[in-house]
Amino acid sequence: MTLQGILVINLIGLVLLLWVLNLVRHGRLYVGYGVIFVVAILGAVVLLSVPWLLNGVTHLIGAIFPASALTLLALCFIVLMLLYILTQLTIVSNRLSKLVQELAIERARLKGNAREAGSESGSGNYTK
Amino acid sequence: MTPNANRILIAIPAYNEGGTIAAIVERVRASLPNNDLLVVDDGSADATGSILEALGVTVATHMCNLGYGRAIQTAIMYALDGDYDALITLDADGQHQPEQVEGLLRDFEAGGCDVLIGSRYIAGGGYRGAPFGRRIGMQLFSLIVKLVVGKRVYDTSSGMKVMRRTVFDPLTHWHFVDFHAEAIVYLMRLGYRVGEYPVTVAERTQGRSMYTLVNYFKYPLKTSMLVLLGIIQAGMTRRRRDSS
Repeated sequence: MTLQGILVINLIGLVLLLWVLNLVRHGRLYVGYGVIFVVAILGAVVLLSVPWLLNGVTHLIGAIFPASALTLLALCFIVLMLLYILTQLTIVSNRLSKLVQELAIERARLKGNAREAGSESGSGNYTK
Repeated sequence: MTPNANRILIAIPAYNEGGTIAAIVERVRASLPNNDLLVVDDGSADATGSILEALGVTVATHMCNLGYGRAIQTAIMYALDGDYDALITLDADGQHQPEQVEGLLRDFEAGGCDVLIGSRYIAGGGYRGAPFGRRIGMQLFSLIVKLVVGKRVYDTSSGMKVMRRTVFDPLTHWHFVDFHAEAIVYLMRLGYRVGEYPVTVAERTQGRSMYTLVNYFKYPLKTSMLVLLGIIQAGMTRRRRDSS
């Protein structure tokens, strides 16, 4: 790969990395997904930035030419789509968690109040 | 100030702890009769819920399993809503000794810390049966905390903690995996004081640990990432606080 290509790859990797970290920081991407993306981005950047490594992998898998630009663009698109979907999933998951927590607290408070009222009137159902 | 001068909530997060939860609740009631007790049932699939119902303890039941961090956060939200002055957390697996909480509380009130951790690794503390991998992990995160905040916290993963009301708000506005090193670093970077108190912890005899083989690889990565992001978040929060 040319020096220009390596620079572009590193720039794309850096932007993606910062984006993923920012999403995790704002709670819009689950930290587990974030780790996968960080590892994948760093791995891809290293692989594409070190010519002998890329050539080695190309040779190892039995390919003749390094990955074409089209394949790279397609991969970028898939990654972007995946990131978008996981972001949405994380947002919904966070909302659901919040709802479950609030419901648990409300129910606990209601039961606690009912128990207090029961013990005051001497007709409590709970045993201590 | 005596330990019970303030309103203190004791919270026990529990997930599939049917074998130990009744004994823990009874021991907490016996050793700390003047404090309110809340068990956060994190979507248990075993008999934990029915046992707690029979015991007549206040239970916040998650309809599905949300994880340890969320269970602790539910307890904090409950304490915040209930206007409690402090929150004590204990594990439900029977490893913590509720009888040691009184000493922990006394030290908390006297020491002026915002968070006091029941530590297994400082003089006077003890932990029987810690797996080698976990011991290495704990050492690593203890060093990371030292590196990041300049103070060594020897037991970053202890589930026995006392938290002052002042930290409730920041802890409900940031996300954590397990309220371990990532929470400690976040709070210390925000200027809160975190201390340790020696406790002895027994080996788990029933139930299953939340640390599976996969978690041995996932936990350090996730926690490290949140430590890093916690530093950034705390820095931004402090800057916002200073400018307003």
